[in-house]
Amino acid sequence: MTPDFSDVFERLRSFSGPDADLTDQILRIVPATGASVATMGFLAAETVAASDPRAARLDEAQFDLGEGPCWDAVATRAPVLQPDLQGEGAVRWPALVQSLQGEGIEGVYAFPMAVGSLIMGAIDLYRTGPRPLGKDEVSRASAVAEVLSSYVLRRALARSGGEEPIPDESPFSRRMVHQATGYVMAQLGVSAAEAELLIRGRAFGSGRSMREIATEIIQGRHRFEVKGNMIEDGQ
Amino acid sequence: MTSRTRESLLFDAFATLADTLVAEYDVVELLQLLVETCQSALGVAEAGLLLANPNDELELVASTSESMELVEAIQLAAEQGPCIDSFHSGRTVSVPDLDADTTEGWEEFRAVVAEQGFHSVYTVPLRLRDQVLGTLNLFGRDRGPLTEHDTRAAKALADVATIGILHERSFRATNLLREQLQVALDSRVVIEQAKGVLAHTHSVTPEQAFELLRNHARDAQRRLADVAGQIVRREIIV
Repeated sequence: MTPDFSDVFERLRSFSGPDADLTDQILRIVPATGASVATMGFLAAETVAASDPRAARLDEAQFDLGEGPCWDAVATRAPVLQPDLQGEGAVRWPALVQSLQGEGIEGVYAFPMAVGSLIMGAIDLYRTGPRPLGKDEVSRASAVAEVLSSYVLRRALARSGGEEPIPDESPFSRRMVHQATGYVMAQLGVSAAEAELLIRGRAFGSGRSMREIATEIIQGRHRFEVKGNMIEDGQ
Repeated sequence: MTSRTRESLLFDAFATLADTLVAEYDVVELLQLLVETCQSALGVAEAGLLLANPNDELELVASTSESMELVEAIQLAAEQGPCIDSFHSGRTVSVPDLDADTTEGWEEFRAVVAEQGFHSVYTVPLRLRDQVLGTLNLFGRDRGPLTEHDTRAAKALADVATIGILHERSFRATNLLREQLQVALDSRVVIEQAKGVLAHTHSVTPEQAFELLRNHARDAQRRLADVAGQIVRREIIV
């Protein structure tokens, strides 16, 4: 047992930011290689904090593809433990595993964050080594997810005013994707869901992230056009 | 009425109540069904259900008859007598013979109820652990205690009412929370999408699009999120 478990736990219970400190605290008491905290489910999918670029990439790939352990954890309201990402994981989430090729991730673990009946997000952990997380470590991560759920809700509410732009923009913000969705809606006269799907498809097809495609759309370097009854990429 | 008939009536009532609780239900209709079941399946003349409002005052929410007499008697019971006692103590209060009762402070209650021809009153609290939501009140024209069988049935019916009320309240609270949160939280995504629509339509930057959006909302004296939602759903063109 890590000596400062209760200390860290209490700190997370009354956590008030900054977001970037979240994953350091989690990793002090759960021995994973990296961790990320994301809003999902009831809240728009977006990374709140990630311990390293690989953890951020793991989250982003799951958001872009719509599959992966955090989606399963949110859907089943239960932890998802996959110590063998390349084996069993590849059967379960083929597109995700393909897009994470070369990242060296061996195991992934996702824990849902819920407030009452509402799912607020998930904590993702990954390991590069072969040792899976133990039973105690899994229950510790579940407990962390429970205490962080209310922080995530408070944070989302604080940012929900809408009248002013958010001052402290998160480096993981997906607002570009939402803006680009609006561009595509106007370009093609389609719904928000259809526009997002087009961006997702374009990202998947070109092996890039939705945020990269979104940036190009906003900068006018990538546009969708209707030719006949086909949607094509314009320049 | 034979006991067999009463038992089958109770059985039917519980089956109906269980069905009701599983599906969507109107809590007032549920409580009405309960008091009517008490009347038909237990040996009592009339039944009424009192629920505490947020100020902890008991209010009549369902009764077997709309007659002024009964309604008045039950309303009075919310102020003095066995019903309010049961509400405060959380215990069943039985008055098998009102004419022989001498409890101080119940004088007016005894007089009004006797005038309506009732001679016995039984009150079962709607209770979950420490919380008492209200009382189920049974009025009899005969004297004498409820049979053990009827007492158990009355408690079971009161428990069903308790579950039904609590379930509906938590459902409503969750729904309200969900709706309020959804409105508050959705707006971020929708505003960004609306900015994208305007940025493309007017060939401006997203920042300039936000100004357009905000100005439009101000001029129309509407919430930013509402205007954004209309733009995204193509209900207005800005």
